[in-house]
Amino acid sequence: MTKTELSRTPRIGSFAGELPVLGAVLAALGLVLLFYSDDSFTLNTLAGTFLFAGLATSWNIIGGFGGQFSLGHSVFFAIGAYMTGNLFLKYELSPWISLLPAMALAAAVAMLISWPVFRLRGPFFSIATLALTEVAMALAVYFSTWTGGAQGFSVPFKRGLENMIFAERMNNALLMLGYVAVTLLIVCWLRHSRLGYSLQAIRDNEDTAEAAGIAVLRTKLIGMGLSAALMAAGGSLYMMYVRVVDPYALFSLFDVGVKVAMITLIGGIGTIYGPLLGTLLLIPLENLLRAELGASVPGGNLLVLGVLLVLTALYLRRGIIGSLIGLADRMKAARA
Amino acid sequence: MSTTQQTVPMLEVRGLSTGYGNIPVLHDVSFEVPQGKVTAVIGANGAGKTTLLSTIAGLIPATSGQLMLDGTDISRTPAASRTAAGLALVPEGGRLFPFMTVRENLELGAYSLGRDAGMRQRIAEICEIFPVLAERQSQMAGHLSGGERQMCAVARAMMSRPRLLMLDEPSVGLSPLMTERLLSTISDLAASEALTVVIVEQRVTEVLAMAELAHMLDHGRIMKSGTAGEFRTDRMIQETYMGR
Repeated sequence: MTKTELSRTPRIGSFAGELPVLGAVLAALGLVLLFYSDDSFTLNTLAGTFLFAGLATSWNIIGGFGGQFSLGHSVFFAIGAYMTGNLFLKYELSPWISLLPAMALAAAVAMLISWPVFRLRGPFFSIATLALTEVAMALAVYFSTWTGGAQGFSVPFKRGLENMIFAERMNNALLMLGYVAVTLLIVCWLRHSRLGYSLQAIRDNEDTAEAAGIAVLRTKLIGMGLSAALMAAGGSLYMMYVRVVDPYALFSLFDVGVKVAMITLIGGIGTIYGPLLGTLLLIPLENLLRAELGASVPGGNLLVLGVLLVLTALYLRRGIIGSLIGLADRMKAARA
Repeated sequence: MSTTQQTVPMLEVRGLSTGYGNIPVLHDVSFEVPQGKVTAVIGANGAGKTTLLSTIAGLIPATSGQLMLDGTDISRTPAASRTAAGLALVPEGGRLFPFMTVRENLELGAYSLGRDAGMRQRIAEICEIFPVLAERQSQMAGHLSGGERQMCAVARAMMSRPRLLMLDEPSVGLSPLMTERLLSTISDLAASEALTVVIVEQRVTEVLAMAELAHMLDHGRIMKSGTAGEFRTDRMIQETYMGR
C-alpha cells in the first residue's frame, strides 16, 4: 500500500460513523413503545428497563471501557435521587434543573473517593467500592434530614412535564428512552475520542498506557467522573419516576451496584451496545423468573441469574456483543 | 570540558538504584548512551535488565540516582511526560492493547503528539516500514501472530518520533528467522531516523552483531562495558552467554 493510498483510507471508526447505527437502535426501541402504547403494564416495565439500560451504559464508561470494575455505582445513583428529591420537596425545584447539581456532586464525590482508591488495582479496587457502598448507606440512614432515615421519603404526585411526573405511562417510557439515547450518544463519542482511547488502553495494560504517554490517574478520574455524573442523572429520573426512595433500595447491591456490572458483563463489557442488550435480555427474564419462581423457590431468580453469569464468564468472556465482534475479527483475519 | 552538541550523550544514567519494596534490584548503575548508536544490554535472567528499562521509562521509581535525557534531567518527570520528551519503550512481549485495533494501537503510540494530519502522515510512514501492519490495520491487535505483534509494538513506539528507543527482549517468542528480520528492521530504523537505541536481549550473538556498544548487567550491577566488537571476542562473554 502506498502512502497516498493510505492517507485516503477512511478512519476505521468515527463518531459520525456510529450515528446511523445509534439512530436505528433508538428507532427500534421507539417502535416497541408504539407497539405497546395501549398496554400500561408493559410500558411500565419498558420504562424501568430503559432506565436500567441507561444506568448500565453509564457504568460501562469506567467499568467496561476503563476496566475499573466498580461495584459502588449505587452511591452516585443515590446522590442523584437524594439531590433531586430534596430540591423538589424543599424548593419545588424542577428535576430538569436539579439534574445538574446532582451530576456535578456525583462527579465530585466520585473523583474525590477514587483519587485514593485508584491506587488499588483489580479485585482490590472492586472490594474498596463495595465497602464504599456500605459506608454510604450507613451515612444515608444517619443523616435523616436529607434522606428520611431508614424509612426514606416520598415526593407528592404533582403532574407535569416540568416535574417529570406523568399520569400516562407512555411519557415515563419516552423520558427513559431519552436517557438511554443521551448515554448511548455520549458513549458513541467516547469510543472514538482521546479520552475513550486512553481509558481502553488503561484497561488493556496500565503500564504500557503510561509508557505511551497517557496520564493514567487523571484519565481514570475523568472517566469515573463522567460515569458517576450520568449515573446520578439516572438517579434523578428514578426519584421522580417512583417518587418514593429509601436507602435500602437505592444502595441495594443486587438491584443497582452489582446488577449494572453483571448485566454489562453478559451483554458485552466495553462495547457500545452491550449494556443495552444485556438489560433488554435480563430485566424481562428476571421479572418472569420472579413471577414464576418467586413463590415456590424464593431467591430462585437470583440463582438462575448467577448461573448465567458464570456461564458468560466461562464461555463468552467479553459478553454477547464482545464475543460477536471478536468472532468477526477472527474471520477477517482468516481471510487476510 | 567541552559541552558541544555532539558530546552530550542521548542518555546518561548516574548512580541509579532501585528495587521492589525492600528488595534492591539495581545497585548504583551508571552508563552513557551516545547519540545515534545502538547500545545492547546483556545479562542473565534476573540480572535487572527489565527493571533498568522500566526505571528509565519512569514506570518504576528510582530510589536514588539521576537520569539525563539529551542533557535534561528527567529523574523527576512522570512516565507519561517522558514519552513527550522523546523516550519510547517497547516492553517485553510487546504488550499491545489486545482489544483495540492495530490502527488504534498505533494512534495511541502518538498520543503525546495529538491526533491530526501529522498523525495520519506518521501512520503512513510507519506502514511503509511495516507493510504487514497496513494490511491488518482494522484488526484487533490480540489476533496478530507473534511476529506481527512485536512489529506492531515497535511501530507503536516509533509513532511518537522518539529520539531514544528502548526495546526489552524483542525476540521473545519469535523464530530465529523472525528475530533476524525484526532486528534488521530496527537497525534500518536507527539508521534512517537518526535514532538512538537501547536494546536488552538474551540472544546475545544476534544483538552483538547489530549493536555498536554493549554493557553486561549482573545482579543489578554493570560488570563490563565496551564496544560490541570487544564483547564478541571476549572469552568470558562467549562462554557465559554465547554458548561457545
